[in-house]
Amino acid sequence: MNAVVAEPVAHYRAAFESLRGGAGDTGAQRAAAFERFAALGFPPPREEAWKYTSLRRLESRRFPAAGAGGATPALSGPLAGHRLAIVNGRRREDLSTPGAWPQGLRARGLAEAQGDGESLAALLRVARGGGTERFAALNAALCPDVVLLDIAAGATPEPLELLLATTPDDPGMSHPRIVIRAAAGSHARIVIRHCGDDVERLVNSVVDVELGPDATLHVYRLLDTGERAFHIERIDATVGQRGTFVLHDAQLGAGLARLDLNARLAAPQASAELTGLFLADGSRHLDTHVLVDHLAVGTRSLQDYRGIAAGRGRAVFNGKAVVHEGAQKSQARQSSRNLLLTPGAEIDTKPELEIYADDVQCSHGATTGQLDPVALFYLRSRGLSENEARSALTRAFAGAVMSRMDHAPFAAQVRDMLDTRLARLLEAQP
Amino acid sequence: MLSIRDLHARIGERKILKGLNLEVGAGEVHAIMGPNGSGKSTLASVLAGREGYEVTNGRVEYLGQDLLAMEPEERARAGVFLAFQYPVEIPGVNNAYLLKAALNAVRRPRGLPELDAFEFLALVREKMKLMQMDESFLNRGVNEGFSGGEKKRNEILQMALLEPRLAVLDETDSGLDIDALRVVAAGVTSLRAPDRAIVLVTHYQRLLDYIEPDFVHVLSDGQILKSGDRTLALELEKRGYDWVRQEAKVA
Repeated sequence: MNAVVAEPVAHYRAAFESLRGGAGDTGAQRAAAFERFAALGFPPPREEAWKYTSLRRLESRRFPAAGAGGATPALSGPLAGHRLAIVNGRRREDLSTPGAWPQGLRARGLAEAQGDGESLAALLRVARGGGTERFAALNAALCPDVVLLDIAAGATPEPLELLLATTPDDPGMSHPRIVIRAAAGSHARIVIRHCGDDVERLVNSVVDVELGPDATLHVYRLLDTGERAFHIERIDATVGQRGTFVLHDAQLGAGLARLDLNARLAAPQASAELTGLFLADGSRHLDTHVLVDHLAVGTRSLQDYRGIAAGRGRAVFNGKAVVHEGAQKSQARQSSRNLLLTPGAEIDTKPELEIYADDVQCSHGATTGQLDPVALFYLRSRGLSENEARSALTRAFAGAVMSRMDHAPFAAQVRDMLDTRLARLLEAQP
Repeated sequence: MLSIRDLHARIGERKILKGLNLEVGAGEVHAIMGPNGSGKSTLASVLAGREGYEVTNGRVEYLGQDLLAMEPEERARAGVFLAFQYPVEIPGVNNAYLLKAALNAVRRPRGLPELDAFEFLALVREKMKLMQMDESFLNRGVNEGFSGGEKKRNEILQMALLEPRLAVLDETDSGLDIDALRVVAAGVTSLRAPDRAIVLVTHYQRLLDYIEPDFVHVLSDGQILKSGDRTLALELEKRGYDWVRQEAKVA
């Protein structure tokens, strides 16, 4: 291993060692996680999973661990009746919704869950494989707490917003960790909203999801952090029999973001709908890797992502569905459509299918293009300015996935933010 | 109102308009007829400001302004309307949104206040009735999934709503069955007004059975070869275009 790679690992090791004394619960589990990170290191050049995304800049940074104190972030209104605030990976009751908690939903921290006999191995599980295993391992080693959400069997709790924030003006690193377990027959909606000011920092987040039989979980994810922030996130969802995992993803932020979204359809008739949009404007770089494993009979998946890039923005979408042997009668659909608003922008998209069963229905498609000049002219010939016309067509493009966002406060928030950003970037054009 | 003098235009290297002259006054309806490839649609596109057409010579004056120097949206706001031969489908852009945005865009320069949602709906309902269009069209994407006839009706609906000073209809009759043709023609006829000019670009004289033009022009190979009144259209229907070309050659 060369010096360039070894050096950042040494920095994280120092951070790990310093936490070790205080935290108390850092047993063999955390040490093993850290060693996993150390063994994998930062991705070497030409690692396929990082083909279009360089982490050299992140590698050169030496972020200290974000502390528990510091100033309170300014937060906008919640996107659900209940908010659970997490700052730098730690629960903040003072910023959460007081009083009644959604029925059928239980939230615990690491210490409480361990006290109740929950297995540390499950809470700090490091999901294997993919380009972000290293960061998931780092998270398991360094996360200050775990937010464990249990949705009771058959429950339909009121929607919850998990707000993940950082201390303003604090260029630290944080490792929030969320574990969601949706028990049999439950039906829930959870907003996961990342916000942060425009400071260079690292957020390395892990969301571990497990759905029991007949459980339905909708996760509404909003990434809205500063243009200089690094954001790495890994979401692993395992779906039980006839369960449905739905992700509505809106990526509007971070400077350099990577999402690995893995769905394991582990039991018959399990399904996953993974849809979203990303807007890479300014100098943002947004990289999304989706992997769906069809492991059982009659499983179904949909991947539908729409991307927009402008300015010097760059985005990557890599969507893969694997239909494993024996997963007969499965259905996998993939669509990646991308829009380049300005000549300097770039989006690299790669849909992949691997099929090891013979009785399946699979489809995929990917397009990257510009606004239709015929439609632009049509709108302008009706008196709309060029900006109005471009904005209307861009919103129409995004609208196809936004119309699936069936949680009104979330959809309204995303629409507002998108409108504001589009207006700003259209005005900035010559 | 509209004065076209010695207009030359091309697409790439292909010269299409080769010295076209046309005067259109307020209150007049002009029909421009001609065989395929004569430059009819190019003329309509140049008037509306479509990209890809290069004007190499000549002038177009509209209400005393240099029309060719104006952006497409400026032309629209100044009262120019083009009914497209092939209206584009724009999924995701709501028809009602477009109608309202377009209406307010042309009202502003006329010094008229923006319409609120209620006033807009009342007005658009009235115009839809005229075009025999169901209100459900308002909530669909612009032309999305519309039949050929529905698209053409939607064009005339927009025209009826925007009340242009100069309307150019590019082959609005093509692809219409007789019932749709009647509705479209009635919509156009209802817009005849002393301060409004209408230019009908058409291949067939069929439309002119319903909309009686004041002038008929024969466009061939990028020039207007012959002008006359409505009887010229009937003569073209009977004899085709060749005799006009022969006549022009002799002259």
